[in-house]
Amino acid sequence: MKVSVEWLSDYVALPSVDELAKKLTFAGLEIEAIERPPAGVLAGKILESVKHPQADKLSVTKVDFGRGPTQIVCGAKNYQVGDIVPVATVGTKLPNGTEIKEAELRGVKSSGMLCSARELGLSQDHEGLMILPPETKIGSTIDRVTFEVNVTPNRGDALSHVGIAREIAALTGKALKSPAKPVVEGGGDAAAKISVKIEDPSRCLRYAARVIEGVKVKPSPRWLQERLEACGVRAINNLVDVTNYVMLEHGQPLHAFDLDKLTGAQIVVRLPKAGEKLKTLDGKERTLEPEDLLICDREKPLALAGVMGGATSEVTDATTRVLLECASFAPAAVRRTSKRHALHTESSHRFERGTDIVAVPQVADRAAQLIAELGGGTVLKGLVDVYPKPVQPRRVKLEEKRLAALLGVEVPAEEAQHILEALGFKRGLEAYEVPQWRPDVSREEDLIEEVARIRGYDTIPLKLPGGLGALAPEAPAVTVERRVRVALAGEGVDEVVNYSFVAPAELAAFGAEKGAIALSNPLSAEQSVMRTTLYASLVPNVVRSVRHQASGLRFYEWGRSYRPDPEGGKGARPVANETVEVAGVLWGLRDRARTWTNKDAVVDFYDAKAAVEAVLSALHIEASWANFDSPWYHPRASAMVSAGGVVLGTVGELHPRAARALDAPAGVYLFQLEVEKLIAASRLVPKAQGLSAYPSVRRDIALVVKAELQQAELRRLILDIGKPLLVDAQVFDVYTGTQIAEGLKNVAFALEYRSPERTLKDDEVKQAHDRIVAEVQKQLGGALRA
Amino acid sequence: MEEKLRALSAAAKKSLENGANPEELKVKYLGKKGELTAVLADMGKLPPDQRKAVGALVNSVKAELEALLVEAAKNAEDAKLEAELKGPKLDVTLPGRSIRPGRRHPVAQTLEDIVAAFGKLGFEVAQGPEIELDWYNFEALNVPADHPARDMQDTFYVGGNVLLRTHTSPVQVRLMQKQPPPIRHVMPGRVYRKDSDLTHTPMFHQVEGLYVEKGTVSFAELKGTLDAFAKAFFGSSVKTRFRPSFFPFTEPSAEVDVSCTMCGGAGCRVCKQTGWLEVLGSGMVHPNVFTHAGYDAGTVTGFAFGMGVERLAMLRFGVGDLRSFFENDYRFLEQF
Repeated sequence: MKVSVEWLSDYVALPSVDELAKKLTFAGLEIEAIERPPAGVLAGKILESVKHPQADKLSVTKVDFGRGPTQIVCGAKNYQVGDIVPVATVGTKLPNGTEIKEAELRGVKSSGMLCSARELGLSQDHEGLMILPPETKIGSTIDRVTFEVNVTPNRGDALSHVGIAREIAALTGKALKSPAKPVVEGGGDAAAKISVKIEDPSRCLRYAARVIEGVKVKPSPRWLQERLEACGVRAINNLVDVTNYVMLEHGQPLHAFDLDKLTGAQIVVRLPKAGEKLKTLDGKERTLEPEDLLICDREKPLALAGVMGGATSEVTDATTRVLLECASFAPAAVRRTSKRHALHTESSHRFERGTDIVAVPQVADRAAQLIAELGGGTVLKGLVDVYPKPVQPRRVKLEEKRLAALLGVEVPAEEAQHILEALGFKRGLEAYEVPQWRPDVSREEDLIEEVARIRGYDTIPLKLPGGLGALAPEAPAVTVERRVRVALAGEGVDEVVNYSFVAPAELAAFGAEKGAIALSNPLSAEQSVMRTTLYASLVPNVVRSVRHQASGLRFYEWGRSYRPDPEGGKGARPVANETVEVAGVLWGLRDRARTWTNKDAVVDFYDAKAAVEAVLSALHIEASWANFDSPWYHPRASAMVSAGGVVLGTVGELHPRAARALDAPAGVYLFQLEVEKLIAASRLVPKAQGLSAYPSVRRDIALVVKAELQQAELRRLILDIGKPLLVDAQVFDVYTGTQIAEGLKNVAFALEYRSPERTLKDDEVKQAHDRIVAEVQKQLGGALRA
Repeated sequence: MEEKLRALSAAAKKSLENGANPEELKVKYLGKKGELTAVLADMGKLPPDQRKAVGALVNSVKAELEALLVEAAKNAEDAKLEAELKGPKLDVTLPGRSIRPGRRHPVAQTLEDIVAAFGKLGFEVAQGPEIELDWYNFEALNVPADHPARDMQDTFYVGGNVLLRTHTSPVQVRLMQKQPPPIRHVMPGRVYRKDSDLTHTPMFHQVEGLYVEKGTVSFAELKGTLDAFAKAFFGSSVKTRFRPSFFPFTEPSAEVDVSCTMCGGAGCRVCKQTGWLEVLGSGMVHPNVFTHAGYDAGTVTGFAFGMGVERLAMLRFGVGDLRSFFENDYRFLEQF
């Protein structure tokens, strides 16, 4: 909210602008911006003004701003000789960037510039010079400062100048002055001219009306217009301006109806009838919803209660009789109507946050009196005030002990009382009575916060809680995550972080769009469904990077995939199945770029598998691999990895059809692992094995076998046959080609023989080795080479 | 015979001097069929009285030859090594042969460091769902329907009362539902808000913290904990300040600023000349939150806090554009 500092000074004595901003910020009313005229702008009196000899639209003035009469050429017309106006002296930098220099305009020297409020950055739309009050001291700086105050949603009371002045008074100890003046009534009784009926007292809590007759609608005086403009509100005419002015003053929205446009001199506050419509002041014809509270006359809707007035009863230049509404509506009802019609107004903003229902009569009087003063009318006798269920004041206890315990610092009882009373809380025998303008205060903690924020949070010491430092062992999930990340870093895989929502087409490329959880209000179709696989993010990452000339990529992401859970949301069960996964993608040159050592070598299935093996090794998981059919992967290069009968994840080459759908290059390799399953299978603290005291003997073996026989099967067979002396067999070559007959391949293993009891003799090893060769030949019919 | 021996010895020495291969000479003279060996074999033909003298001579010639050959062999090796050492030098400016380690995403690094800093203080880690019920995300946190505080967070809905969590705070409620006090947990994770511009992305990360005890926890302890965190994360010279604010789920509530990490508080572009950076929201847990989570609000107290990870990552790495964190351009990622 924009607040005029000059306006605040009507109600309370102020410290310097910067001091004030600091005090308010540290009391919870954050001053987000301070707008003030640029340095070098001084108040100057126009001593004379003559037409420019060469230009019809310009005048040549002599202005005194404390340095003797100075000649300034001016284009505005809205001033008179003797007016005091802001002068941007030579050297001043205006908010739009212009620097004022000595100039010559059509042959006439000009040393400065007379400014409009807009040129000083004080108003958005005001043309013409800003005329300062006649008592302004010549040569003084312009004290038009506005604050942009960030008023948090709990502080509806601070959406007004009086409310902020009250806060300042509590912070500085200065007295708060009330703007109220007694209303001067005349003519007949208002109640004889209008009646008010509330049909829905749950939504309309109070409705008060004043009638003012004989009003002349005209522009408001300059001072009022300027205050409104300082707050970003456009001046319209004296009637509308007063309602806005008093709202900005007290925080209570008001509305002025042209009483002659009401049918039946009656206000009925009710819900709409079927099919009822209302044209609001913004010119929109609105179809009303059953729960939209309306201000009506005997026949038709006049206004959307608490949100916006209607066009039919709008005050115009011809208006002479005014019905001034000052009411209180249920916050939630106003909020729902405002949301439904996407109509957020100064009025709805305040009603949503709660207004002071008790202050309604005073505010109504204040506005009525001001209208009469500025419009020359008569305020009829009496306030028509319908208040079906007067609110009872809330009382909240504050125990000194509790105050000290919650803040961690002793606060003298008198000091707490003094603060609360300055804020309008009344000390009773047992408890404080909460003023109606503070709907946010309902319990002891709220009072404690009031005391703490006015005293300042800096009065509370720093203390480390006694319970800290009691360390628990790290959760396995945390250890696993760290180890996986280190393992993947070791494999050269970079981490990415993607949005959890993707485009439906990105899931469809994997046939993974069915049942995906969709957002009902996405920002765009590209971010409209929760991903069911991380691949839907990772493959597009590759596509994008390839577009940016990447020649080799290794990415992984640690994130969730989301699927519906029919049982979700029952009790404490999460709504959806959220599976934490670690998934990766590899593409292109193995070293990311061509290197002199690896030349043009590109990644393949076994690089992706290596990344997974590094993860498994870091977690001491012994896993087995098997071919796996999936629409995600190329059927020839696709595997699943399991441990203890549980599938941990899959690895494979992106299926060419999916690649085509995603515009991805060929040779994209993927892996994904389910984190919960990794945690379950992991052995985070392995037991050490003693080293053999006896040397091992190494022999190689090469076997020509059928091409489709998998290494793991052959290895298992060799280890089986070689028992007990053979302790390991590692494949070191697989060859197919011209030397080998079609349909066969040559597989070479390095075998390691060892006994735990003795040093092996040559012929023992030879025997075992020969047996392996013979048995493998016998069992597989494979031929032995070399 | 003596002459023959001397002649052999002289011939061998000469061959050596002429650069003959010591190995070959060894075979030629001292091998099984070597010339010196042959002379030795002839010893038997000598009369017994000469044998001793000739034997001594043979041995001395043999020893001399052997020593010469060993030395010659050593010299040859030295020469070879010398030559090898003087060979062409490697181009040490060629890049090394290695896989460059993978980089951590800057947001993940920052998040890990935040969690680690709280870990030093004894906070454990807890996680919760991202697709959440309205009740956990709002109602249980003292944000009823139709409350203006809902405007503070634009929400993505999945339908009905299901939404993408707008903050990590619902994890607080789930955690308290699951276990009795004491609670000392941090809750990192992804959160979502329907907002996308220069300074907002529809998804970002938060770290939530919760400290609850049976008995009284004070605001002073909240301040002490967050000040300790700030020093652990930003550096020991960092100062903190607490400003009153509003969060529906805490009362009293505070925004926490740290002295600007760029200028040390003197004022710069990053802190908009204020010398301070807003980094955390915090407060004493509102009794309504305890009640909703099933705790007895009369007997437990605690504090909660939360921070946006991306903002801290931007400060730390000097990243100017928030959105670059989620574009995952390899040229961006390679830098961290």
